[in-house]
Amino acid sequence: MNENNIVLFDYIKNSRVKGEFSGSIISKFKEYVNYIIFSDNIKISEDNKVEISQGLMVGFERDVNKHLAFSKKDNFIWNNIEDCPLEYSVLISNEIMEQYDEGQFSDAFPYTITMLHTAGLYQKDHDGLPVNHLEFFQGEILRNPVSLISRGICVADRVVIDHRGDPVFYDSIIVGRDENDELKVSYEPLVNVKMDDDVLRFIIILGIEDLKE
Amino acid sequence: MLIYENKKAKLLNILKIGINPFKKFVATGEIKEELGFVSSRKGLMESIINIIKSNENFILPIIGEVGAGKTHLFWNLKKKLLFHNTFYISLENYRKFYYHLYSEYIEELGVEFLRSIANKLCNEWGALERKFGFFHVADIYKVRKTAYKKISNEFEDKIALNDIINAITAHQLDPYKKLEAENWLLGELMDFRDLAHLNLLYDLRRKSYAFNMLKIIIENSKLGSVLFIDDFEKIISLMKPEEGSEEIFDPSYLYGSEGSSLDNIAAQKILEKILNLQKIRGIKIIITLNSIDSLEEIKRNIQEKEKNLLLTFKKPLFLSNLVENDIYKFYMKNMKNFLKTVNYLEFIKEMSKDYFPLNESILKNIYNEADGNPRDIIKFLIKIFNELIYSDEELEDILNSYEN
Repeated sequence: MNENNIVLFDYIKNSRVKGEFSGSIISKFKEYVNYIIFSDNIKISEDNKVEISQGLMVGFERDVNKHLAFSKKDNFIWNNIEDCPLEYSVLISNEIMEQYDEGQFSDAFPYTITMLHTAGLYQKDHDGLPVNHLEFFQGEILRNPVSLISRGICVADRVVIDHRGDPVFYDSIIVGRDENDELKVSYEPLVNVKMDDDVLRFIIILGIEDLKE
Repeated sequence: MLIYENKKAKLLNILKIGINPFKKFVATGEIKEELGFVSSRKGLMESIINIIKSNENFILPIIGEVGAGKTHLFWNLKKKLLFHNTFYISLENYRKFYYHLYSEYIEELGVEFLRSIANKLCNEWGALERKFGFFHVADIYKVRKTAYKKISNEFEDKIALNDIINAITAHQLDPYKKLEAENWLLGELMDFRDLAHLNLLYDLRRKSYAFNMLKIIIENSKLGSVLFIDDFEKIISLMKPEEGSEEIFDPSYLYGSEGSSLDNIAAQKILEKILNLQKIRGIKIIITLNSIDSLEEIKRNIQEKEKNLLLTFKKPLFLSNLVENDIYKFYMKNMKNFLKTVNYLEFIKEMSKDYFPLNESILKNIYNEADGNPRDIIKFLIKIFNELIYSDEELEDILNSYEN
């Protein structure tokens, strides 16, 4: 783990740092849910209570006979960290966030599609209900993608679906585990994912209206 | 194989093509001057640079007679002041003063500079705020509100400020209005439809709009700003109607009290506008005048309006005429540039012995005749070289006529 990034909580490594933290925090749910929470704060109390105020939870949920992507603003409170569904919470370093900011405001990609509301671009077959709109958006640039690739989270400024139908993420922050299950954070200007490798779990495009207060 | 070459004859042949090494005897604010300062003026240059570096706001008068090289001083200052935006303004074009000044400033610095200032301001006003710790969803209305709250107490015309904030934020945060907003910020003339699209009332031709924009960009520029106002006497000449000028009608019918004319009112206004520039933090103004009397007259005029403004005036510096040694160096430097242009730099060694095609005694005569005034010296040099180029007389005959 980069020294400047702080693992606030890791269920697998049984580690936690108590206190109140603010900045850019990614919290991931355990495998059976796979939700992600983005927040600018988290509080882990002495009595193991976890509080995230006004976080944005992102994921897929089942709606009768289909899966729909969602993003919800909410306060998240768990009275006991041991029983909470979180797998980990990571505070991203300012250094990485600055790199991410610099890439975001680039005028080099002016013709991007910004969705108004959060939508699922891709989900691997889950309960026999796959989602795949990659072909529809082939050659297009989509803003604010969030993706789960194997066991890593990829938050990017934009994603392009190339001519082979593979997603290419630009200006990305990656959070994932290495071979020793240690959490790692990195900034990648470009992440190319091959669909043939079968590592992509989902891609959700965040809607601008859902990001506004 | 070339055994012998008459280099002097070769130079004369080059001159005969019709290129005069001395061309311009009047420097302008538009055409860059390449020649540096003569050594006797280096002390003056250092004094000016020291004043600029150690003061935030001031008006520094430079006094020098006609042709002393005041405009030439601007180009040398510009060359030396690498960490300042130095720009020139002439009072010949005094209508829409702030707009004119703003246009000069933007033309000097370019659109990239304007974009970076707009970007910096929007970031300061919260455009880079991250939602949920990660996502930049700039709320343009919130950014505008923050901007207004942050800077409104520094500006008198709140409507103008509001429009400026709207234009800057639209430029950075509204992709559908970026182009029009950039045109507005560049000072282009906007029609009603464009203004309505941007939700603005006026373009930068409006006095308070141009002034506020100047204040914003100068105060937020990383580099200092030096404004060089040439021929400040223009103010006085506008205030005083020319003696013996024929009046078609009595101006007091239109402009009130006797002695006031359209030009006089314009001059008073322009003086007020220049003094008002002192409200912009970090602007350094250099004015050039022909005589100390003119400066005193301007000071008297300011004293009547607001005594405190006189405190911003620095002690005047004087641009004196050249000393004799300067003419030799000036001549050599200019000839060197000429030889470089005609690809005959090898002659410079030959020339340095005797100032060919002229000679030391002619240069001395020129200096004495011109009384050290740079413009007159250049005029003499142009005249002699024109004779060398176009006359059928022998070189010795021409030189003899100037030696005596």
